[in-house]
Amino acid sequence: MPETVTPEIVLAQLEEMLVEVIGDDLLLDGPLTMETSFDQDLQLESIEFVALSEKLLETYGEQVDFVGWLAEMQLDDIIALTVGQLVGFVAANAAASGA
Amino acid sequence: MSRFLFVVPPFTGHVNPTIGVALELERRGHDVAWAGVPGATEALLPPGARFLSAVPDEVAAYVAEAGERRDDARGAAGFKFLQEEVLLPLAEHMVDGVDAALDAFGADVLVVDQQALGGAVVARRRAIPWATSATTSAELVDPLAALPKVAEAVHQMRVDLQVRHGIAPDVAGAGDLRLSPHLVLAYTVEELTGSLAGTPAGEVPVRFVGPCAVGRPEPGGFPWDRLSDDAAVPNVLVSLGTLNAEVGERFWQAASEAFRGQPWTGVFVAPDHLVPDPPPNVIVRSRVPQLELLPRLRAVVSHAGHNTVCETLAAGLPLVVAPIRDDQPVVADQVVRAGAAVRVKFARVRADALRAAVHQALTDPALVAAAERIQASFAAAGGPVAAADALVALA
Repeated sequence: MPETVTPEIVLAQLEEMLVEVIGDDLLLDGPLTMETSFDQDLQLESIEFVALSEKLLETYGEQVDFVGWLAEMQLDDIIALTVGQLVGFVAANAAASGA
Repeated sequence: MSRFLFVVPPFTGHVNPTIGVALELERRGHDVAWAGVPGATEALLPPGARFLSAVPDEVAAYVAEAGERRDDARGAAGFKFLQEEVLLPLAEHMVDGVDAALDAFGADVLVVDQQALGGAVVARRRAIPWATSATTSAELVDPLAALPKVAEAVHQMRVDLQVRHGIAPDVAGAGDLRLSPHLVLAYTVEELTGSLAGTPAGEVPVRFVGPCAVGRPEPGGFPWDRLSDDAAVPNVLVSLGTLNAEVGERFWQAASEAFRGQPWTGVFVAPDHLVPDPPPNVIVRSRVPQLELLPRLRAVVSHAGHNTVCETLAAGLPLVVAPIRDDQPVVADQVVRAGAAVRVKFARVRADALRAAVHQALTDPALVAAAERIQASFAAAGGPVAAADALVALA
């Protein structure tokens, strides 16, 4: 568990996780940014969402429940979901647990 | 004798299996007809089939145009487009037409595809026995189980559709238009879908009948002499299906590289311009006689469209699956779980990963054994005869 969970740190860690899930081709289109969208830009497939969720749990613990967070979303929220939103979710929840 | 009306969308994979079932019903002396989109659905039916138009020509034109527009939409955006811009308007506009078709034809039983829900609305409204025609195994399982809010919104959309067409809200809210409480014909086997217990389909009578598609006219002119006759140089088909070839630019590049220099002969179902420089061991054709080819193949690389997957498994061949959209990721998961396929990514596929997957499909005996197991359960499922038995029992 990192000492401080700043958005910059989370973004870097998320990039590592996504490279593991998707492969290093992820970075061919440039670095991951807060504006990168999961649906349109990354074209993340459902099994990749599951794999990412497992990596988030391993890294930040069970308070970062990506699957539970997605389950609360409407279709338009999922289409519009960006890396920045996930970074915010991770930072808020990992921090809330006293990490 | 009874009369059966098939209500179908204008998509090959959804019409094909109904033809096998309908022919079996006709053989037994029953009358069959199809209701659907003029032009597009008609073109998919056998010569002489009775077709009743269920939508005006302008709706047919809209559906064709929407089909072209959705080429770029994949993932969640693709799902939204398919549901809201294609299937819902189609259902909405088919209700009156199916109603009229029913009056004209006088059906005892409606057989309603999961993507032509207008037929289910009519059946419920007129209290006629109806069967669901589940042409893809993806809608049998619960693909939106992990997204309850999305599932709820989609369900509500279908409840509203029924209410707009005169079904009482409490009736409309019960059950699921995709799953008839009388009968669900599943053109697959439980070995592929897994147990349905605990899912909505577990609540209704599902009859697993296996594939029902019949032989179809296939294009001629295939260069058969370019296929390999040498067991050490297996033939491998690579197909992204009838709708997806054009979105596969990057995929075809990777596939060319993957096959270059390998001891395989590739048959790529692609337009020439997407494979500008094919390796010498690759045949590129925009259309192929797929059924005629299957006995000469050892593996198939596919987008995991339900029809191609079923035809491949019915031939006892393993697959490499690269699902693109719609039901394909779910179908791909099912075949991988059943042990008969290797999965690669479509969007970011790389030549080395594809080459390794094809190599595995050609050499791993466990994949072939699983494909042969499913081949056997397909054969045991009964096909059109079992489907016709179940439908006749409803009449």
